[in-house]
Amino acid sequence: MMLWYKAWLETRSRFLISLFGILIICSGWVLHEDAIASPSQPANWYYFVLHKSHDTLVMLWVLAVSLLMMGGLLREGAVGASDFTLALPVSRARLTRARIGVGFLQAMTLAVIPSVVIFLLACATGKANSVENAAFHLLLLAVGGSVFVAWALLVSTLISGEYTAPAVCLGTVLVVAIAMGDKPLSAWSPLSLLGGEQYLNPNTMMLSGPVPWLRLAVTIMVAAALAWAAVKAVQMKEF
Amino acid sequence: MIDLPAIRTHRLSKWYGRTEAVRELNLSVARNRITGFLGRNGAGKSSTIKMLLGMMRPTSGEGSVLGKKIDDPAQSVEVRKDVAYVSEDKRLYSYMTVEQLIRFTASFYPDWQSDVATSLLRKYELPPDRRVKALSKGMHAKLALLLAFARRPKLLILDEPSAGLDPVGVEQLLEGLVSLCGQGTTVFFSSHQIPEVERIADQVCMIEHGHLVADVSLDEIRQSWRQVDVVFPFEPANLQVTLDGVESVQTRGRQMSLCASGHTDEIVAWARGFEASAIDVAPLGLREVFLKKIGAER
Amino acid sequence: MFFRLSPQSGLPLYLQLMQQIRHAAESGALRDGDQLPGIRTLAEELIVSPNTVAKAYSELEHEGLVELRQGSGAFISLNRRTRHVLDHMESARRRAAGLIDELRDEGLRDDEIRRVLEAELARQEGAKKR
Repeated sequence: MMLWYKAWLETRSRFLISLFGILIICSGWVLHEDAIASPSQPANWYYFVLHKSHDTLVMLWVLAVSLLMMGGLLREGAVGASDFTLALPVSRARLTRARIGVGFLQAMTLAVIPSVVIFLLACATGKANSVENAAFHLLLLAVGGSVFVAWALLVSTLISGEYTAPAVCLGTVLVVAIAMGDKPLSAWSPLSLLGGEQYLNPNTMMLSGPVPWLRLAVTIMVAAALAWAAVKAVQMKEF
Repeated sequence: MIDLPAIRTHRLSKWYGRTEAVRELNLSVARNRITGFLGRNGAGKSSTIKMLLGMMRPTSGEGSVLGKKIDDPAQSVEVRKDVAYVSEDKRLYSYMTVEQLIRFTASFYPDWQSDVATSLLRKYELPPDRRVKALSKGMHAKLALLLAFARRPKLLILDEPSAGLDPVGVEQLLEGLVSLCGQGTTVFFSSHQIPEVERIADQVCMIEHGHLVADVSLDEIRQSWRQVDVVFPFEPANLQVTLDGVESVQTRGRQMSLCASGHTDEIVAWARGFEASAIDVAPLGLREVFLKKIGAER
Repeated sequence: MFFRLSPQSGLPLYLQLMQQIRHAAESGALRDGDQLPGIRTLAEELIVSPNTVAKAYSELEHEGLVELRQGSGAFISLNRRTRHVLDHMESARRRAAGLIDELRDEGLRDDEIRRVLEAELARQEGAKKR
């Protein structure tokens, strides 16, 4: 589909920069922490290392998807190309759906590839690792992160301006991070869900207890509602 | 079906907050003709065109393009299958190459003519591998035209198409419009370049303050519109002129200049009746007619 | 054939084109059976609306100077009546040449001759209308 091709070309350079940036920083974390990790925590030190690098991945990932989802008709309106897009014989819903599709695939790629690389790197350093734990982190990131993808999409359909939109998007994420950073609110923060600390054994950083399926499902529903709102916003908009 | 106008609006209006951009516009654009759309900046041309293409919703009134309603999103998609549009600033996707953009656009239209696209690419001297970002302003404009001309749309709508083109580019533009019209495309274009409109248009619609002030064929302008300059043996300042066809009257000393949309013979006879010492009749160009029509409205 | 249309003149373009085609036939630039350019081709060459060319052709067909053949285009057709007109024109041209020579011999300049002829034509036209 050509609309997907367009959305890909539009975000390609941002995506590749994000991917390699994340890979380099996260790999660096694993190797660096591995080298300096204190041997005084023998039982779980590599989980400590891995958890730290997952936290880094989460931070960078949220930053990357927020920037990746910028674009679309409002941004085109700001640079003048929206007239061309709007004259194409496709509905605005289809235009937005193509952006959601490409954005979602890119977000998943940015979650999967670095997670796998971190896992393999940890294995390559010769330490035992837990597939379940790595999979749990990936699940939290991919599913829990969908709400950030959708939020960035919604912001990009409400606020025009090449720089205002990402500033507003990252600003709101920062506000959430600060306002919901401490207990008891932190248990409900969408950001803390990505880190998943409340579901891990604080001593070993291993998965303890059941996977929070319900909360993940609710998160997906919130993300879907935000995406739906974005589609509606584009349909209502006048250019 | 063939007699239905390509574009028709009925009391179409558009408000931006408290300003009215388009005011009860009744527009009718005939099929298989070239129609020019004239108006000053801010007269409501672009707003009208954007409503026709479903980019904006009318505040009130209605319109149809190729028989389909413009305010219904589903019908608007159908309309856009048969309509090619070149916007005023002709901006395109800066991140695509010329060739990518052509392939992208071609995929949306069953009426795409890849042989025409290839020959226009050569004629317009566009480098296929260059990114749109790196094109000059003129090349940008030509690429936008190519994307419209490489199709066989039923209707072609252009907003200020000659903006940003050099004289050679303007000739290529006009040639393209004439060529498409010769193949059955209805052409509707707005322009500030009156000589261009005068050369190729069959019909002109003039708009001022969002309202249609004239819808006239160029044949009729050439045939009937005349400027009659009369020198009277007295100062005609108080002379009441109530003749058919007189659009405007100016007096200066013993001279009177009348602008007429017809009935020139009667006007000349009337002037003779006052023993005018000189009567000059000259044709009026589109520019004069436009300025008179717009002036009368203000 | 070369045609030149003037958008600024007070004559509809299709009438200008008709006059020029007629003139081309009268002067022998176009002969009986000669094909005229296609409507689209001529419109692109002159950069005028194809409707202008189409109207000129169909009016000339009405006059009998042009024959439109389905699918193959427009052809000059000099039937008896048009040929008759052409012969008339030719003899008129010869008489006009004689008159112009006479007036020159009497010392009138060319632009004066032109003004006299045009003024007289205009006067008679005006008289006819009333």
